[in-house]
Amino acid sequence: MKPTIAIREPVVDDLMDQTEKSLTEDQIEKVINEVIDQETGVRLQTYVNTCIHCGLCSEACHWFLSNDRDVSFAPVTKVKDTIWVMLEKKGKVDAAFIKRCSQIAHTECNVCRRCGMYCPFGIDIAYMMLVVRRICAKLEMVPLYLQDTVNSHAATMNQMWVKPDEWIDTLQWQEEEGQGYVPSARLPLEKEGAEIMYSVIGPEPKFLAQLLGNITVIMNVAGCDWTMPATAGWDNSNMAMYSGDFEVMARVERLHHETAQRLKVKKIVMGECGHAFRGGEYDGPTWLGWMSPPIPIVHAVAFYYDLLVSGRIKIAKKVEGPVTAQYPCNIIRNAGLGSKLRYIMNAVCEDFVDLVPNDRHAFCCNAGGDTINCGPPWKKIRVQSARLQSENFKRTGAHTIVTPCHNCHSGVEDIVDGYKLGMHVKFFSELLIEAMEIPEDLQA
Amino acid sequence: MINSESWDWECNKKMVADTSKWKDQFEDVWEPYISSDGEKIASIVKVGEGEFNIAVNKETWGEEPFEKIWYSRFSPDGRLTALITKEMEWTMAVDGKTWEEMYEYIWDTKFSANGKVIAATTKQDGVYAITVDEKTWECPVKLESIASHIISPDGKTAVAIAQTVATAEADVNAFTKGAWSVIVNGKPWNDNYVDVYGLVISADGKNIAAEYRNSICEYGILVNGTPWNEKFGCTWEPVFNPTNSDEISVPVRQEGQWFLATNGRIVWDKGFVNLMYQTYSPDGSNIAAGVAPSFAKWTIAVNGQPWSTTFNECILKPSFSPDGRKVVAIAKDSGNWFLVVDGTVLGEGCDNVWPPAFSPNGDKVIYKIEKNGKFAVAVNGEVKDKEYEALWNPVVSPDGTKVMICGVKGGKYYRKVVLLSDI
Ligand code: SF4
Ligand code: SF4
Ligand code: SF4
Repeated sequence: MKPTIAIREPVVDDLMDQTEKSLTEDQIEKVINEVIDQETGVRLQTYVNTCIHCGLCSEACHWFLSNDRDVSFAPVTKVKDTIWVMLEKKGKVDAAFIKRCSQIAHTECNVCRRCGMYCPFGIDIAYMMLVVRRICAKLEMVPLYLQDTVNSHAATMNQMWVKPDEWIDTLQWQEEEGQGYVPSARLPLEKEGAEIMYSVIGPEPKFLAQLLGNITVIMNVAGCDWTMPATAGWDNSNMAMYSGDFEVMARVERLHHETAQRLKVKKIVMGECGHAFRGGEYDGPTWLGWMSPPIPIVHAVAFYYDLLVSGRIKIAKKVEGPVTAQYPCNIIRNAGLGSKLRYIMNAVCEDFVDLVPNDRHAFCCNAGGDTINCGPPWKKIRVQSARLQSENFKRTGAHTIVTPCHNCHSGVEDIVDGYKLGMHVKFFSELLIEAMEIPEDLQA
Repeated sequence: MINSESWDWECNKKMVADTSKWKDQFEDVWEPYISSDGEKIASIVKVGEGEFNIAVNKETWGEEPFEKIWYSRFSPDGRLTALITKEMEWTMAVDGKTWEEMYEYIWDTKFSANGKVIAATTKQDGVYAITVDEKTWECPVKLESIASHIISPDGKTAVAIAQTVATAEADVNAFTKGAWSVIVNGKPWNDNYVDVYGLVISADGKNIAAEYRNSICEYGILVNGTPWNEKFGCTWEPVFNPTNSDEISVPVRQEGQWFLATNGRIVWDKGFVNLMYQTYSPDGSNIAAGVAPSFAKWTIAVNGQPWSTTFNECILKPSFSPDGRKVVAIAKDSGNWFLVVDGTVLGEGCDNVWPPAFSPNGDKVIYKIEKNGKFAVAVNGEVKDKEYEALWNPVVSPDGTKVMICGVKGGKYYRKVVLLSDI
C-alpha cells in the first residue's frame, strides 16, 4: 500500500526529532507487536477488516473539511497511513514512519469521535488513533510539550507541576476572593464526609485561579456541603490518557478516585473540562477494572443544570446580547449533556444563539484529544485546521463563546485570535457569577 | 501504638461539650475533631473578620486569635495541633502554643504512633524540608519540592519523596535522567529516579521501600536505595511484612495482568484484572488483597484465593481481626456500601461504611455507618445506636470487654463506654 502524499510545513519538535534518531527497528517491531498482541483484540481486527475504504467518514472530520478536502487529513487516511501499515508489515517499519504516526495520531486527530457517527459501520477511528498513540508513547515518540505535561502528571499527579504548597495556598487565597462576594463563604479543605468533592484541572491553580474563587461563591450561595482535597489527587485531568502512557493515566485516575473515597464524599463534581470527564468516567475506571467510577462523577454542566433547575441558584439578571457555546465532544457527543448545556445557556443568557451543527453533531474546537498540549510547534496547523468551526462561530454573531471545557477554552481563544472573530471566550461559571442572585443575607 | 490503657474505661456516658452553643458564640464553626481517648472535641471557629480560634470542649485556645487556622488534628497522645498564620507566615500550633520558627508554608502534619513526635512538610526561602518537632532537615541537596512524607511508628525516621534536581520548563531529558529521590532523615539516597511512589517504612523502622519508574512501562521496587532485579510493566505501593522487615509484597503487572510478588518473585500464581491493598495478617503469615478476578467484579483474595462473593463497584483495603482469623473489607455494589466478613455480607447496604473494630476473638465487628444523612453504630450488620449527627469510629478497650462510642446527638457531644456484651 502506498503512503498518502501529505504536504506539510516542516515542524521542529525537539523530542520527536531526538527520538527519531535514537529508535532502532528492533525496538519498533517489538513494541508494535507487543501492543497489538497484548493490548488489542477483536475490536481492532474487526474495525480493520470491516472498513470498505468508502471515505464517507471524511465528511465528518474538521481537519479534512478545513483543509479544502485534502485527503491526507481524512479519517480513513489516518488509519491507512498508520495502523494498517504496522499490521501489514508486522511491525517492520522505521523511525521516520513512527514519527509520522505520532504526527498523525497526536497532532492531526482530536479523537473527537465525530467520524465514527458518519461511518456506516460505526468504525471508531478515534480508538485506532489511540492504539497508534499507545505504540508511539511506548517508543517515546510523543510531541515535546505533551510529554512534559505527562511527566508532570507522573511526578506531581497534576498537569502543571503545581507543588503541594502552591495548591493549598491558592485555595486559601481564592477562599478570600470568594469572601469578597459572600463574606461568610468557605472553601473547606479536607472535610471528611462532605457531600461533594470538587476537583479541577492543573491550569486552574496555575493560571486561572479566579475560577476557584467563583466556585467558592457558587457553592456557598447554593448551600452545598463540599470540600476540596489538600493532597495530590485534586487534579482530574489526564494528558497521559492521550499521550498513550496508560500506566501513568491509571495512577492519576486511581489517586483521584481514592481521594474521593478517603474523604467519604457521595460524589465528585468536576470543573469545566471535557477530557478530564472522559478520563474520570471512562478510560481511567476501565483500565483499573471498575465498571464506572466508584464515587460518581458529575460534570460542571450537569451540576449547574441541577442547581438552576432546583432553584438553588437563581438568576438576577441575564447576560445581554447574543452568546453561543462550544459543545465539548467528551461531554456532549460522548456523554449526552447537550440538552443540559442548552438549558443552562438559556437560563443565564437573554439571547443564546446555538451553533449549527449542534449537540452530538457539533464540530470539535480542534484543541481536544491533547492536540493543544502538543504546544507551540503544532499550533499553526491546528488553528488552520479549525477554519470550519471559526466560520460556524462567526455565523452566530455572538459577542461571547462559552466553553465548558478547558481545552476548548484555549483552543477557541486561538480560533478567535487566528480568525480575528473579535469575540470573548468564557467559562460558564464566569457567566453564572455575573448573572446569579446573591441573597441579601449573604451579600458583602 | 496508642496506649489506651490509661483511658477512662468505666462504663458511663458523659456529655463532654454542648457544641450547639458554639454556633451562638462564634461567627462560624467548622467540622469537629476528637482526641483518640474521646475526652476532647475541637473545632476551628471564626471569631471576627480574618480572626480564627479553636474551641476545645468549653475553652478556646487563649484570647488572641490567629489570621488563619486550618488542618486541626489531634495527635494520638491527645495534644491538639493546627496550622496557623500570623503576619503572612505559617507555623504549627500545639495546644495553642506555636512553634518558635515561622515558615513560608507548612502542611501535611504527621505523628508517630504514640503521638509524641510531630512532623510536617515546611518551605522556607524556597527550600523544602521536613520539620520534626521544630527541627528542620539540613539536606545536602536543595529539595525543589516534596511530594509526600511518612514517619516511622517510633518517630525516629522521617522519609520523603522529593525532587532533588531542578529541571527547566519542558526539559524532558533532565526528567528522564531522574530528578526525584527518597530522603531519609535529611539524607538523600544515592540515586535519582524518573518517579518515586508508594513510600513505606517497616514496622521496626529499619527498612524503607518505594516503587520507582525507570522508563515508560518499566517499574520496580527500591529497598533502602537498592532496586530489585526484577522489573514490571507497572506496580502499586509495596507493603512490609509486619513481623519480618526483610519481606516486602507488591502488586505487579505483567502482560496485562496483576500478580502479587514478594521480594521480586511472583507468589500468587493467578493473575487479576487488578490487585490492590495487599495487607498482612498481624503475625505476617497471611496476605489479603482487593482483587478483580474479572472486569468489574471485585472481591478479596486471601493468599491468592478469591472469595466467591463479588461486588460490581469497588472494594477497599481489607483488614484482619486481631487473632488473624477473619478478614473484613468494605465493598460497594449497585450504589450501596457493605461490610463483608470472610466473603459474607453483613446487614443492609449503607450510604457509607467505616473500617470496623473487632472483639478480641473476632466474633463481633463494631463499626460506623451512614444512612440518610445520619450516623449509627452497627454490630455484625445490625444497626444498634442510631441518629448521630456526627460519629467517630468505635474503639474496643484493651481488655476487649468494652467499647467506646463518641458522637454528637442533639448538638451535644457524648463519650460513652458500654460493655461489648450489652451492645
Ligand atoms: S476523531 Fe475527530 S479529528 Fe479524528 S479523524 Fe475522526 S473526526 Fe477527525
Ligand atoms: S466510513 Fe467507515 S468504512 Fe468508510 S472509510 Fe470511513 S471508516 Fe472505513
Ligand atoms: S477540546 Fe473541546 S471540542 Fe475539542 S475534543 Fe475536547 S472537548 Fe471536544
